[in-house]
Amino acid sequence: MAIISPFSNTSVLILDDLPEMRSSLRSQLASLGCEKVSVSGTVKDALEQCKLSKFDLILCDFYLAGGTDGQQFLEFLRSRRIISRSAVFVMVTAEKGYENVVTAAECLPDDYLLKPFTADALKGRIERLIEKKKRLAKVDAMQDKGNWPEVIVACDEIIAAKDRHMVDAMRIKGNALIMAGKADQAVVFYQQMIAMRPMPWAQLGLARALHQSGDMAGGKNTLQSLIVESPKMMAAYDLLGRLHQESGNHDEALAVLDSACEISPNSLARHRAIASVAEETGDFSRVEQALNQVVKKTRNSPLRETKDFARLGNALTEMGEPGKAVQLLEEARTSFKEDANNPLLAAVEAIAQQKAGRPEQAAQALTRAMQGGVSNLPQDIAMAVAKACLATGKQDEGESILKNLVQGAPDATGLHGKISGVLREHGLTERADALVAESMREIVQLNNEAVRRARAGELTAAAEMLVDAAQRLPGNVQIVTNASFALLFDVFTNGLDPAKIRLAQQFQQSAQAQNPKHPKLAEIAELMGRIRTKYTAGKA
Amino acid sequence: MDFADLAAFTIHDAKNRLALVATRAEVSGDAETLRGILESSASLTRLLTYYKAEKNSLGAEVDARVPADLVNELLLDISKQTTLTVKADLSAAPTLWFYDENLVRMVLLNALYNALRFAQKNIVISVVDRNGWLEFMVADDGAGFPPEQLVQRDNMQPVSRDGTGLGLYLARRVAALHSNAGSTGRIELNNKGGAVFTLLLPQ
Repeated sequence: MAIISPFSNTSVLILDDLPEMRSSLRSQLASLGCEKVSVSGTVKDALEQCKLSKFDLILCDFYLAGGTDGQQFLEFLRSRRIISRSAVFVMVTAEKGYENVVTAAECLPDDYLLKPFTADALKGRIERLIEKKKRLAKVDAMQDKGNWPEVIVACDEIIAAKDRHMVDAMRIKGNALIMAGKADQAVVFYQQMIAMRPMPWAQLGLARALHQSGDMAGGKNTLQSLIVESPKMMAAYDLLGRLHQESGNHDEALAVLDSACEISPNSLARHRAIASVAEETGDFSRVEQALNQVVKKTRNSPLRETKDFARLGNALTEMGEPGKAVQLLEEARTSFKEDANNPLLAAVEAIAQQKAGRPEQAAQALTRAMQGGVSNLPQDIAMAVAKACLATGKQDEGESILKNLVQGAPDATGLHGKISGVLREHGLTERADALVAESMREIVQLNNEAVRRARAGELTAAAEMLVDAAQRLPGNVQIVTNASFALLFDVFTNGLDPAKIRLAQQFQQSAQAQNPKHPKLAEIAELMGRIRTKYTAGKA
Repeated sequence: MDFADLAAFTIHDAKNRLALVATRAEVSGDAETLRGILESSASLTRLLTYYKAEKNSLGAEVDARVPADLVNELLLDISKQTTLTVKADLSAAPTLWFYDENLVRMVLLNALYNALRFAQKNIVISVVDRNGWLEFMVADDGAGFPPEQLVQRDNMQPVSRDGTGLGLYLARRVAALHSNAGSTGRIELNNKGGAVFTLLLPQ
């Protein structure tokens, strides 16, 4: 009777730049009965393979040729969601610790395999990792969907079972509490974890939770002592840098990030963080210095980010070198085919071309920046496109984008200040004073109109108005919660409608994640309860 | 490039090459060659760890681990490299414990290679949760530790059983890196029907 290997259906990808290593691993896998094995010698090829097929297991060597390493590859895969959480990622290395500078917990490999290892050891590891993925299947699927309340429920089941995956589930639950906007619960949860054992990831989690709950000082203190105890925990420096940045201590932010760079000079994330602090202070030579390193390291790698080129181009323009900027941006546009119409890249190019005295090229770049629509762009990109409009004389388009930004974030006074600043820079002093106020007034009017209609009994029309506005302004928590409430009130009064309830819940969750303490959330929860009572009464 | 960096690169390169030869030895079922390769690789790991310890950059990455998994993995690996009988006792192993798995593996591997050198017929590796302490134990049926080695010492001194004394020195350092709630890890050497090496880690 033939013995069927448990791995005959496990699809594996090996990534190693040394051919003899690839064949050695392949023969070890063959001896375990793995039949579906693919090999790659380059990151580019591995990336293609990951996009084409779904692998159960990826064995990746840490040292890769071409200026990248396995950690950067993994971070790229995870940040672009090229692999799902159900895929096992194992980092193969000859030495743990020497190059081990951990970034975010999200981007840790599932396991490290230290060379040399026997086929039997490999077998045991794979078996256990696959078993773990099975146990966490529900948790992983919900995480991939971003359904954090369900992640928490699934984790609680595993924690209650107290099996070997208990701590894995705790780690995921802590993050899920933060992602679901339950900052206070997360603080308590991490404090309990730390009382059990002060593991570095739990301390980092506590700092994140404190930050989210608004306790900046507590977050900073936790991070400072974590850095003393675990000086190689890079994520702690990154978060501390961000906290300093948010409280306006730019010098301290830079000092923390610089000290992290000394420990881990190869991390791209850190140079990017330094650039972002320097952008805020207007220190563009520092931005140029930091992003030059990133661009140099990734220029010929498939892991490059178009955004880095755009930000570097912007820094060059700001430093009075639009010619250099144009050169860099044109290179990016022509060589990154899939990103030729990237709105940020195009917006930055429009400004650079205009300043370099080429208005025709500037207009073409602006068209590329706006061709995908501007209403759903992230804040920083929308801002860049608005600047490009103003720089090329398209004042109306620019103002319309800025108005949308104000309405989408009515409480972000920092952003409002920046918007006024941008208008002033372009000589529009009067508009700088008026635009923010006008935009806010419009929102108030829209809310009042919805309330008027609701009072007049036009509940469905009122809800529709607010849903439109909430979809246009997903960052405006007041509008989003009002839309949720209006939908539910419509349902309460006029009868059950699953689609409306679903939409109302989506708005509720989005508001919860943005501002868990928003007063309207309690009203929504209360109304939800009344709906449940009303429509289940008599059925029991 | 200074000596330390050069040494680290060289060790890295050597381990890569050893990994290739190890696979070949394993495929051809050559247990003695496999042991020679894996044992050499383990000494290179200790050398690098010693360097880090001297530079005060050796830290423990403590996380929740499954002790039985580690013991099983070591058992599988060691059994392949010897004709002696190696057994594991996991009857009193806890589900989870907190320690740095790589450092603990290095310490236990060293104890096992020592046992391979001195055992008559049998080696037993076990892990027990005893009154809030995790005890990893490697026991052989050889002549036991020489009396001078049973005396606790903190300095590294050449001793007969373990060439340079590096293994024992690192075992103590690694144990000491594991502390929690006022308790600190330690090692114990005993003679009881042979040599018994114990690594104790606090809860």
